[in-house]
Amino acid sequence: MENKFKITGAFKLISWGLIAIGLITFILGFIYHPESAWANYLLNNYYFLALAIGGTFWLAIQRITQSGWSSAYIRIPEAFANYIPLAAVFFVLMWFGFHDLYHWTHEKEVMQDEILQHKAPYLNIPFFVIRLIIYFAIWIYLTQKIRKVSLEEDRIDGMRPFEKSEWYSKVYIFALALTFTLASIDWIMSIDPHWYSTIFSLKNFLTGFYHGSALIVLIVIIMHKYGYYRFLNNSHMIDFSKYVFILSILWGYFWFSQFLLMWYANIPEETIYYVTRIEGPWSTLFWLNIILNTGVPFVFLLSNYLAKSKVILAITVVIIMIGMWIDLYLQIMPGARGEHHIGLLEIGSFLGYLGLFAWVVGRSMNKRALIPENHPLLEESTEHHLHEL
Amino acid sequence: MSKSTLNIIGIFDDEDKLLGSIKSLQSKGILIGDVITPYPIHGVIEALKLKTRIPYAALFYGVFAVVATFAFLYWTSVVNYPLRFGGKPQNTLSFVVVIFIMTINITALFTIVTFFLRENKGPGKVADIVHKELTNDSYAILIQKKEGMTVDDLSNINILLKETGAIEIVQKEVKP
Repeated sequence: MENKFKITGAFKLISWGLIAIGLITFILGFIYHPESAWANYLLNNYYFLALAIGGTFWLAIQRITQSGWSSAYIRIPEAFANYIPLAAVFFVLMWFGFHDLYHWTHEKEVMQDEILQHKAPYLNIPFFVIRLIIYFAIWIYLTQKIRKVSLEEDRIDGMRPFEKSEWYSKVYIFALALTFTLASIDWIMSIDPHWYSTIFSLKNFLTGFYHGSALIVLIVIIMHKYGYYRFLNNSHMIDFSKYVFILSILWGYFWFSQFLLMWYANIPEETIYYVTRIEGPWSTLFWLNIILNTGVPFVFLLSNYLAKSKVILAITVVIIMIGMWIDLYLQIMPGARGEHHIGLLEIGSFLGYLGLFAWVVGRSMNKRALIPENHPLLEESTEHHLHEL
Repeated sequence: MSKSTLNIIGIFDDEDKLLGSIKSLQSKGILIGDVITPYPIHGVIEALKLKTRIPYAALFYGVFAVVATFAFLYWTSVVNYPLRFGGKPQNTLSFVVVIFIMTINITALFTIVTFFLRENKGPGKVADIVHKELTNDSYAILIQKKEGMTVDDLSNINILLKETGAIEIVQKEVKP
């Protein structure tokens, strides 16, 4: 088999079909329910951006730790990086929906609200847009650099590209720590401008990392089924499922840290955030969120025997992907829209983005060799072997 | 405690030779009693087909720790000395933090103790030195000398060990 991901007719048909579904839903949505449509627009934008950021963060970690076992799979997160420029365009377009999404953009209400006035130097539209552009400029520059260096590795011999990629990954991780923290505060937390949480951005960053790495696993499993990555063995599966397992525990830990402190401190402006979500129509999703994101992976991946199974791991990843959607739905909708309703608009817009993401990732994987044959640690990956107890 | 038995011990100074030796001994049907290395080596565990049940023990201790810690907290703050503070229910969420930490503590300690008990190790154990270089840069294969072994068998083992690169072959009483 040629060392390249082939875009088949079916893949093209499905992804373009999904994009068409998404487009139609959005057009109808903007005509009939603009507020809902904007909320869904933000949700899906953030969802797939977080996956791309999480995936590239995973890549950066593999680079700085000089991991051998994963080196054959780095082309997948590298392809994720190509979604970020597209996400930048979408986020800039969100400018038209600020009024529907963010309460702090309503000037009249800010004038009457002491807390919002106090936050106005940070939460105002020009500064918001400037920050947005800075974040994306940094992310796009660094991820494209990592991509470029990785491509260089295919062409020239020697350790130079390997060392360079490590350097860019270090910078990227440091840059992400600051920029993504602020970004999640800007885009998600400011929907409820009176509410604040100090662990919020950490939790949201982890959501991206967790689900981004899980998505890489899912893509590897699917591609293995279609004949790529023939060397995928049990040791790879154990390492992949460990990644998902540990991050699921960490996700639960952060989620609970945020919840417990608010519950314990019992300050009205903080607890109102959870009160609206635990009581009323959101409560089912509230509990489902924890079960899907932490409970299911914990139970499914606890035993090595189950974790090795590709089917089990694939099912788990699909479940936690739904869990991430619910997590974001619960963070965005109560503030931005105020009513609980999952209908065609939610599903259609998600499918549209899914198609787009799949198309972008597939196309960029098609552009370069699927397995980085000059990677100095490649052999460690193709011959990966763990103690099996 | 178990009795010590006479062992034929082959000392190696190279990992690969050790692994090769294990394989060729096994292919001749010779039972390897133990392999001692200064650090874990890939392939030794697989070659000896060792199995461990320690993870199951750890899982059991973890479940036990959750139940026991919760029971203790429930008893202290709900049954024995119910004190209401901060408007919180007595059976509270803050239990979770304590349970989390105690689960880690209890599981780790109990698992270590189990391991030491199973391996006959622990405080006060007299060091059983097979060869003085084994904590430094040498590796050893131990083969138990059984009653039914003929002179031929023994010389076979000796020759095999020599051929596969043992630098030294000794006989010694070792506790299993």
